Amino acid sequence: MALNEIINGLGITVLLPIVIFFLALVFKINGKKAFRSAVLIGIGFIGINLILGFFLNNLAPAASKMVEYTGAHLPIIDVGWPAAAAIAFAGKIGLFIIPVVVLVNFLMYTFRWTNTINVDVWNYWHFAFTGGLVYALTGNIWLGILASAINSALVLLLGDWTAPAVQEYYKIPGISIPHGFSAAFVPIAIPLNWILDKLHFDKIKADPVSIRKKWGIFGDPIIIGLILGMVVGFLGNMKNLGSIQAWFGILKLGMSMAGVMYIFPKMVAVLMDGLIPISEGVRDFMKARASTRKFNIGLDSAILVGDPAAIASAMILVPIAVILMIIIPQNQILLAVDLAVLPFMVVMTIPITRGNVLKTVIIGTVIITGGLLIGTNLSPLFTKAAIQAQFNMPSGATQISSICDGSNPLSWLIVKLMDKSFGIAILIAIFFLFLYFYKKHEKGWEKIAGASKEYLEKSE
Amino acid sequence: MLRKRILVVCGTGIATSTVVARKLEEKLKEEGIDIETRQCKVVEVESMLENVDLIVATTPVPDDIKVPVIRTLAFLTGIGEDEAIEEIVRGLRGR
Repeated sequence: MALNEIINGLGITVLLPIVIFFLALVFKINGKKAFRSAVLIGIGFIGINLILGFFLNNLAPAASKMVEYTGAHLPIIDVGWPAAAAIAFAGKIGLFIIPVVVLVNFLMYTFRWTNTINVDVWNYWHFAFTGGLVYALTGNIWLGILASAINSALVLLLGDWTAPAVQEYYKIPGISIPHGFSAAFVPIAIPLNWILDKLHFDKIKADPVSIRKKWGIFGDPIIIGLILGMVVGFLGNMKNLGSIQAWFGILKLGMSMAGVMYIFPKMVAVLMDGLIPISEGVRDFMKARASTRKFNIGLDSAILVGDPAAIASAMILVPIAVILMIIIPQNQILLAVDLAVLPFMVVMTIPITRGNVLKTVIIGTVIITGGLLIGTNLSPLFTKAAIQAQFNMPSGATQISSICDGSNPLSWLIVKLMDKSFGIAILIAIFFLFLYFYKKHEKGWEKIAGASKEYLEKSE
Repeated sequence: MLRKRILVVCGTGIATSTVVARKLEEKLKEEGIDIETRQCKVVEVESMLENVDLIVATTPVPDDIKVPVIRTLAFLTGIGEDEAIEEIVRGLRGR
């Protein structure tokens, strides 16, 4: 029996737990704990797969009826970060991602190219996701792994660059945020913020707390799901609103979508639970080897998301995203699950705008506009990656994407460059130019990322 | 001591809060404290406060919350875990 046959025959719900189990032993987790967590990871995938099937089977037919009646052509369904994470870990690249990212980080630390030790093992999935798209595009597993490695290396630099700003604004000394999604927007937010300051937008202040009270409804995923399901159901039933059956259907779809928004992330929590022992093993392994000089511990941007300005900006961005989805003619994505995680898109813009809600919303609007186009463009690869990772896709031509990772400009850039050898050379050149110029003008760069002069002087 | 309810809060209610919740269950059991954890995301926190004795958060939470809040990254970084547990035990016993 060939290796490929075994891999395909076992399926990811068995294969990944086996890989994680042995990896956990390598990182010195005791056998019993490693075994249980490996099984939990398999269970997480089963849960995510079930909900994904339920979600697509309910929403896809309604969305295609909506297309028929309204002409709104939105055939790509936003399956959100729970599906993206599962697809990333379950793909072939996901099997290798933990050792690859640890190795890249270790080498960069040793060469003094980074001061971040990224212990946020869960979020390695963003790098595996980019690699998975490259694998879907090229069919070459090595190119996929290289793409993940380059992605993680660039994000470590982004983490270093933004560390003083994040530490100062969020008051978390010793931490940096090498997060594959949140950090990707920093190079976009900086020039936009500069322009907005020139236009004196920084003078207009909005109070995040009162916005939060007023717009709170857009922060609650189950309400978003309920409304979204009913609106899609309504538009899909425009021709037979006279029948009671149509209204039953509208209400049921609303309830189903509220259920998806609530249950989907809970399934990810099972996966997360299973990853805890190996995360701690990796963390202790890396910290023990990084003792030669000072370093920042790289954590999840989830620890920033509670910021009032981030929450307020994201709440306002929910209706804006829906409007953009309708009015941008090139967009084909029907927003859904990822409307709940827009705060992650803005948390690292917040130190740059110094918590200015208006500026953050404008920057977010630009990012989402670009994101809808990127997500539409990457959707065929996203869908193919899901099929390659053996997720149940409903029959017919359902396409999927997400407004977070499926629309990540950094992933897009890497995917577009990875299938040509000169493109790979460009990516490597970007990395070294970034490294060179950042190290050369470290303080200046850190200042435009949002750190104050006083803070930078103090931390010397 | 009665069973204590701890609400663990993070940005998603999924990722970092799961790490913290498992750690609290493990460590507080060793301290002989019976706890029940619930997780939520920071935007839900106001609607989850009923019967909660303590909030442990990895992310900023609103200032006007009536329940005591301990914000800590110790369980994520692995630095200062024991001190954080002590603070949480004090927080629970103080009520």
